[in-house]
Amino acid sequence: MAFDIDQYTETSEGVGWDDLDFDAFKTHPLPEQTLRSLRYMCDVEYHTVCYLRDLLVTPSHKERDVSAFMTMWNREEFWHGEALAAVLGMHGITVDFDQLKATRLKLGWRDKIAPLKQAIAGNLIGDDFVAVHMSWGAANEWSAVAAYRRLAKLEDHPALSPLLKRIAQQETRHVAFYASQARERLAKSKVAQKLTRLALSKAWGPVGSSISSDDDVKHVMGHLFGSEEGVKEVARIDANIAKLPGMEGLTIVGDSLRKRGVVAA
Amino acid sequence: MTQLGDADAPDRQHDDASLVPAAEFTVREFARTAAGSHRDSLDLAAYEREPLDGATLELVDFLARLERSTMAQLRSVLVTPTHKDARITAFLVTWAYEKYWIADALEAVLSAHPGYAPAESRGPGRLTALRRSLADRFEPIRESVVANLIGEDVVAVHTTTGVVDEWTTRAAFEALRDGSANTEFRAMLERLLGVKERHGAFFAAQTRDRLRRSPKAAKLTRKRLARQHWPLGAIDEDPQLAARFFDALLPDATIAAIDARVEAYPGLAGLGLLRRAKSGQPAITRAAEALGRTAADVRNRIR
Repeated sequence: MAFDIDQYTETSEGVGWDDLDFDAFKTHPLPEQTLRSLRYMCDVEYHTVCYLRDLLVTPSHKERDVSAFMTMWNREEFWHGEALAAVLGMHGITVDFDQLKATRLKLGWRDKIAPLKQAIAGNLIGDDFVAVHMSWGAANEWSAVAAYRRLAKLEDHPALSPLLKRIAQQETRHVAFYASQARERLAKSKVAQKLTRLALSKAWGPVGSSISSDDDVKHVMGHLFGSEEGVKEVARIDANIAKLPGMEGLTIVGDSLRKRGVVAA
Repeated sequence: MTQLGDADAPDRQHDDASLVPAAEFTVREFARTAAGSHRDSLDLAAYEREPLDGATLELVDFLARLERSTMAQLRSVLVTPTHKDARITAFLVTWAYEKYWIADALEAVLSAHPGYAPAESRGPGRLTALRRSLADRFEPIRESVVANLIGEDVVAVHTTTGVVDEWTTRAAFEALRDGSANTEFRAMLERLLGVKERHGAFFAAQTRDRLRRSPKAAKLTRKRLARQHWPLGAIDEDPQLAARFFDALLPDATIAAIDARVEAYPGLAGLGLLRRAKSGQPAITRAAEALGRTAADVRNRIR
């Protein structure tokens, strides 16, 4: 299914929460473990601009549709960060730009060489490497949709659940872009398939695992996907990934949770 | 709307080193009030009655491409320590969004002139094209190494580059507006200038604070700016077209005024950036640029 970039850009908007009754957080405050998961998700959303960096070093940014998508996608994710920060703010947790900067500074040398690695791979391998990014992005966005929907259901909160459903709805459009790009690029090149399969099976980790502590990753993944219903959701994400050309049989999300002991091996 | 504690306007005292640059510019407010598509406010039928001439359309086309080149600019910014500054990246997210729609409005004007076809671009020569393609591939590799060695000072280079580019394109929009009798075209440019206003304000305030507090940053900025192509994005354009852009929209008095504003910043006196850009540089100078830039960075690092 082709992705209609004009339709997407024309209807792209920052997620709104004006009409939601945030006072509900005063009468029904969220439990500690949910706030911890929301904080994690908030950081991930704000961090999108750093993922954008990895995408931009490949030749794909010169393609008109890709750069239009990146512009809108990046802004939508920023607003997801703002929305979650507003929820956290109702619980006395302030997320400000200085803290985000401090988090990024803590990433240290790994973060410094990341763009170097990406730039070398992206520019020396060329177009085939773009397929890796697109498939990786699809896996991440599928995970994000599932995570938001899971939390909306787990909490069943009058203000939080509708907000998370709105965010998940926007993420489904990101899925559509990444998956259609990935499918098209993988279908064209066996080399791209091999590279992507290698990258996903060897290097993929849960969204946010590259910027968060192992404890936080385990907490969030356990919170959202540790139950029987969560495990089924993870299997659905893996089934989607496995449908991409050349990715048959991959179970990267399930594997990453089993490796962390979040779900039974 | 539930207001966030406006965390980007600090209310505490800072010593000089921890001073938040451009503290008077509220990034969250900017993001909240971003300008999206201008299509609804355009009266494209006005161009059927009163079409723009070919030379003007060519300049509109050129400006649309410059406004569209945000991802290429973000690429060179995000591989450096500038990406750590969450206030700047939050600004850039919205800046790119607004510029996308500025370019879209300009493209709508072009599409309202079905007879318009861009002049056959001579494009860069084959050798130049090869050099640029190689440079394009290696630039992020080079930059991710060098800029990370330099550290925080490189942020000032990016904000100064941003303000110079903003002043330059702003002057071009104004000249287009002043030179046209088409009221719809003038009104659109006026609206787009209103959107661009805050881009200039952010970069200018950032630059002022960063250059003021760090002479090392000012020195680095001076060296890097001198080696930059203006306006940003022009490096990918036909040099003849870039020359026509300067001739048509940036008369010497405008150039002198912008250069004077740039040179009022600490450490940037006597740069003559746009004057040099307009008069053009010999090819040999350009060929030495990449090498020179790296050498300057390394020297700056060693000092």
